[in-house]
Amino acid sequence: MLRPRRLVVAATAVFVAAAAVRALLAYGPPSVGSPADWPTSTALLLPSLLLGWLIAVRVPTSPIGPALALTATVPSVVFTVEDWGTTVRTGHPWPAARVVDVVGAGAWAWLFLGFVTLVLLFPDGLLPGRRWRVLWVAVPFSAALVNFTVSSDPSEGRFPIRLPEPLRVALIVTAFATFLGVLLAAASSLVVRYHRGDRLTRQRLRWLMAAAVAVPLLLGASWLATALGAPGVVAYTGFLVAMLFVVPGAIAAAILRHDLFDIDRLLGATVSWIVTTLLSAGVFAAVVLVVGGYFPDRVGITTAAFVTALVLLPLYQWIHRAAGRLVDPDRTVALERIRAFVRRVRDGQAEPEQIESVLRSALDDPALRVLLRRPGADLAVPDGAIPLQTGDSVVGALVLGTTSARRIRRAREAAVEARLPIEVSRLRLELQEALAEIRTSRSRLMDEVNAERQRLERDLHDGAQQRLIAIGMRLRSVQYHLSPGVSAYRELDEVVETLEDTVAELRRIAHGVRPSRLDDGLAVALRHLVADSTVPVDLVVPEVDVGENAATAVYFTVGEAIANALKHARATRISIAVGVTDQVLRAVVRDDGVGGASEGFGLTSLRDRVASAGGAFTVDSPPGAGTSITVEIPLELPCAS
Amino acid sequence: MRIVIGEDSALFREGLRRLLTENGHDVAGTAESADTLLDVVRAVDPDLTIIDVRMPPTMTDDGARAAVTLRAERPDRPILMLSQHIETRHVVELVGTGGFGYLLKDRVLRVGDFLDAMRRVLDGGSALDPEIVAALVTPTRAGDPLSALSAREREVLALVAEGRSNSAIAARLVLAERTVESHMRSIFQKLRIDDAPDTHRRVLAVLTQLRS
Repeated sequence: MLRPRRLVVAATAVFVAAAAVRALLAYGPPSVGSPADWPTSTALLLPSLLLGWLIAVRVPTSPIGPALALTATVPSVVFTVEDWGTTVRTGHPWPAARVVDVVGAGAWAWLFLGFVTLVLLFPDGLLPGRRWRVLWVAVPFSAALVNFTVSSDPSEGRFPIRLPEPLRVALIVTAFATFLGVLLAAASSLVVRYHRGDRLTRQRLRWLMAAAVAVPLLLGASWLATALGAPGVVAYTGFLVAMLFVVPGAIAAAILRHDLFDIDRLLGATVSWIVTTLLSAGVFAAVVLVVGGYFPDRVGITTAAFVTALVLLPLYQWIHRAAGRLVDPDRTVALERIRAFVRRVRDGQAEPEQIESVLRSALDDPALRVLLRRPGADLAVPDGAIPLQTGDSVVGALVLGTTSARRIRRAREAAVEARLPIEVSRLRLELQEALAEIRTSRSRLMDEVNAERQRLERDLHDGAQQRLIAIGMRLRSVQYHLSPGVSAYRELDEVVETLEDTVAELRRIAHGVRPSRLDDGLAVALRHLVADSTVPVDLVVPEVDVGENAATAVYFTVGEAIANALKHARATRISIAVGVTDQVLRAVVRDDGVGGASEGFGLTSLRDRVASAGGAFTVDSPPGAGTSITVEIPLELPCAS
Repeated sequence: MRIVIGEDSALFREGLRRLLTENGHDVAGTAESADTLLDVVRAVDPDLTIIDVRMPPTMTDDGARAAVTLRAERPDRPILMLSQHIETRHVVELVGTGGFGYLLKDRVLRVGDFLDAMRRVLDGGSALDPEIVAALVTPTRAGDPLSALSAREREVLALVAEGRSNSAIAARLVLAERTVESHMRSIFQKLRIDDAPDTHRRVLAVLTQLRS
């Protein structure tokens, strides 16, 4: 199998040779046709050839490159054959001009060879199915048939053999019908492909289908126009333009618009290279002309080179960008959007976490995801994802929804541009997770502390206290058997009284460990708490179940606040308001004391206690205007159990 | 009198049984958990049931809930609740019904007071632990009607709340019964409570007022 790139080289060689021959025919002694024909038709064919080259360079294995080159080469050969044959009617006939003229009469049928190849192979270089191989034979066969039919037209009088008229008519009908049928069949391969194809293939094919359908339609129209008597040049112009421009153009769009062969970068580089070269040549020439007038020696050339370099350096960047914008506006726009976002992040107008949605819209990939490495964990970069790096370590990955060479390259560029917000959001994520972990571990710790307090309290009540009472009861039993007059009787009285005091003391200790009154709810516990106050207390507290942690935190905070108000603030009145709104338990303790409470140890430990229950603690204590302590604890929603 | 004891601590239960027996009472049955207590009480039908608030199976307030159940079955069944510490959840709704007492376990050691409280409960009266009463008869907010009471009146009120009669209060405070009565009138007036002859109603009235 021939290497596609060699085919392109061969096709180009044939194209150049044909063009040279035609140039000779046009400008040499035979002077076939008008001299304007040669540059026009060559220019018309060149885009296809160049496009073929681009793809051959970019994707050397793809047969699309040769197919495109073929769409340029075949017409140029056909035109050459036609021009060669025409010399027979000039004063300087070329060798074998008579035969070539006969062949050239219907040679236009071969023009479609490249087109059919393209349509059959696009976009992956494979036929849609095995049966389609028939077309490989049918195309040259029907083209040859048309060629023969047209050439043997007796009205031209060139063909040596005269066919009987009925046979000729049958031949014409068969040839043209077959030819049109083959063309339509080739075009219909696109429809088949479209139905089987995925989203991307369909998008690419849509372009080509429009063009492919246009070719046979315009050909039919051209035939109709010719039959109606329109001059050939007019009748076939539309069709020729369609085949030579619309099809390669559509293919170019399918390739460029849909990232098929990552052409745009090459194109951009080529365009900017050409423009830069031309400009530098122009600058060089201008400087040589201007400066050379005064210094006609080497100084002029050196100066020109120097000036050219000076001008070129800044110019190149600009041209490169301009060419990039021209050839690849999507990329320029995408990168500019990311840069604008980074600026807004720097100015504090945007949150770095929005980077994912920004990348999604900038890269036009709604399924794009930004994966960030969790602290302390390894990030498994999925296959095909683009790793995001800081220094040597991979901090994340971009996962694209749709991939192609161009998209991947563009996403890499975008990732570089978006380094700052990605890194910042990763760090913030790390911080958030660390904080969340601290919060949960603190509340877990507090749960355990509370459970431990509860256990301790229970042990005191059910263990030590109960034992002491049992001992006391035995002593009373002993006492029962004594007569009240003896001294042991009185002594036992004293011992039991001491025991009673000890039990009461134990009860107070157990209560300090964990207020057992919380068993009856926060409201009851608070009511008991304020009962010990020596100044009037206004207490507003609803009967609500707020859970052990929140209740304990509020209970101790209120207790401490009351103690502070009495001890330090010299308050004469205290008000306590507790309420639950929107799943937040809020307790406000106000006094009318001297204020100016400083964040001493007492307040700090209260703050810690409240924070351990996931709440916030604020103190407002302007000197001379009393103190107000607010505790806000979000309540967990009761689980349905 | 025939008594059933609901108490999970063997030490305490046996101590109590001994104390009661020595004082001439008949401990007709004991139970270690709230569930068995219900069966025992239904089977024995004692004159008085003594129940620990915290009992198996959950070791929270099973005893108190058993008391509520028993009371619902027979509203005049005398019940004396015991607790290791002050908790008021079920107390108020039961105390108002009469024939009900609620004491800290320490009180058992003051055998005289304890037997006295038992007697009051058996007679359909009330018995509340002084410590619980003390917590209840302290003014908790400005405008609390309790703040209008004098210290002596508060003392008298506390004894009323414990379930004592005027004569018992007079004996306790070493006052003439008349003086106690005049204190009572003053208290009811300040608290805006209509006087009622029944002992436990007085307790109920006081408590209701305190809790409002």
